Amino acid sequence: MTKKAMDLEIAMTPRITLIAAALAFAAPAFAAPVVGKPAPDFSVTDASGKTQSLAAYKGRTVVLEWNNPECPFVGKHYGAKNMQAQQAEAASEGVVWLTVNSGASGKQGHLDGAAANAYVAKVGGKEAAYLIDGDGKVGHAYDAKTTPHMYVIDKDGVLRYMGGIDSIASTDKEDIPKATQYVRQALAEIKDGKAVSVPTSEPYGCSVKYGS
Amino acid sequence: MTRNLRARSFICAAVTGLIGSLAAPLHAADADHVSVELISEHVALAPGQSQQFGILLRHEPDWHTYWINPGDSGLPTTLAWTLPPGVKTQDIAWPMPKRFEVGGLYNFGYDGEVVLPVAMSVPADAAPGSKAHIAVDAKWLVCREECIPGRKTMTLDLPVATKDNPPKPDGRWTMQFSRARLAEPQATAWKATNAAEGDRIVVTLRGPSLPNADGLDAFVEQKKLVDNKPPRIRREGDALIVDFGKSEYFGTPPETFDLVVTQPSAAGVRGWRVQVPFAANAAP
Repeated sequence: MTKKAMDLEIAMTPRITLIAAALAFAAPAFAAPVVGKPAPDFSVTDASGKTQSLAAYKGRTVVLEWNNPECPFVGKHYGAKNMQAQQAEAASEGVVWLTVNSGASGKQGHLDGAAANAYVAKVGGKEAAYLIDGDGKVGHAYDAKTTPHMYVIDKDGVLRYMGGIDSIASTDKEDIPKATQYVRQALAEIKDGKAVSVPTSEPYGCSVKYGS
Repeated sequence: MTRNLRARSFICAAVTGLIGSLAAPLHAADADHVSVELISEHVALAPGQSQQFGILLRHEPDWHTYWINPGDSGLPTTLAWTLPPGVKTQDIAWPMPKRFEVGGLYNFGYDGEVVLPVAMSVPADAAPGSKAHIAVDAKWLVCREECIPGRKTMTLDLPVATKDNPPKPDGRWTMQFSRARLAEPQATAWKATNAAEGDRIVVTLRGPSLPNADGLDAFVEQKKLVDNKPPRIRREGDALIVDFGKSEYFGTPPETFDLVVTQPSAAGVRGWRVQVPFAANAAP
């Protein structure tokens, strides 16, 4: 490295640091990810103690599902087997379905690994893994607001859908057959190489029970 | 409503506020965390008249139900009526909402005791002396941090009054309906405009008797328009500026939207409503 280049690097370092600090402050506390842009990567432990990251699934389509077993909106879709059916369909298509619990310890619906495995067994969940996000890091990175709150990420790591599981905001199982299942629709469109026709919808459900 | 009636209701509300706090344990909600009741302002139906009904919600402390726009989560209370021929209801005249914040997420709704008022019109040819069977199937979601959906079918059988003997108010609910009138955001003659400024939707209000910005909050009835964080509210000369973040789910904007501005004070919350034409330049 020439002296000039070295001087330049030294001179620039503090400025870059300042810009980075300014950006950190300027960004909203929990910025939502953007459809069409790379989805935030994460590293988090699943119910079996294995570390799960988004990067590990590059080349495969990934679904993220925010879950709280005690939330009646979650209960609607598990009680009617809608969620499990879509998990099984996704698995058969090679899609990686990750269920995420961002409930903080002490809050309703928080599960430790053993309890999460018991829950998945009880409801017959067909997800690839159940992620324990008790500190809410993954939830905040995705600005997950409700349970359920759904995200579909394509094989290139680009967010293609975020929003509700379907189009009718209610706790009634009878509404499921009448609703458009947005995640199922997005997965079919991605598989066919099409644009996702409904790329965002407003999620509905219980608030994610973050600790902070 | 006349000024006189409003003033009287206000005193009434102040007095019962005191009584209400003493009597609160008697009204403790059931195991569902909210008690829900169908009430009528009058003891009978008057042919050719419009009269007030309501859903009286009494929440257990810390529990709430939702406004027409519930915010980041939750569900608005819904009503499905079964009515005698010719009897028609209007939509719920939603009272001013409160803002609830948990873990950075915002909800809009009601706690304590609230009436969701519904105006009902009775046909002129309703037969005096006959019985009118009114039924409503109410669905709600009641939340503290956790949420429980509820559902109840309620009925009222009211006689149809004769023209020369108009129905009397039902003394059990006089206070509830008086308070409901106070909880209704008032119509205003304000002129509203809005503009998109980057990721903000900024409403400018001008007109008579605009409040100061101190302590104000504001809510939009329609979803997917503004985000649910508290707006930045300020006065600029003769204008009141309500500056919302744009909803991340912003899609096709409506032609107009409904803004409710609330102002808490020692005497209770005041509120106004104004319809805002949606400016074309505010499209994304």
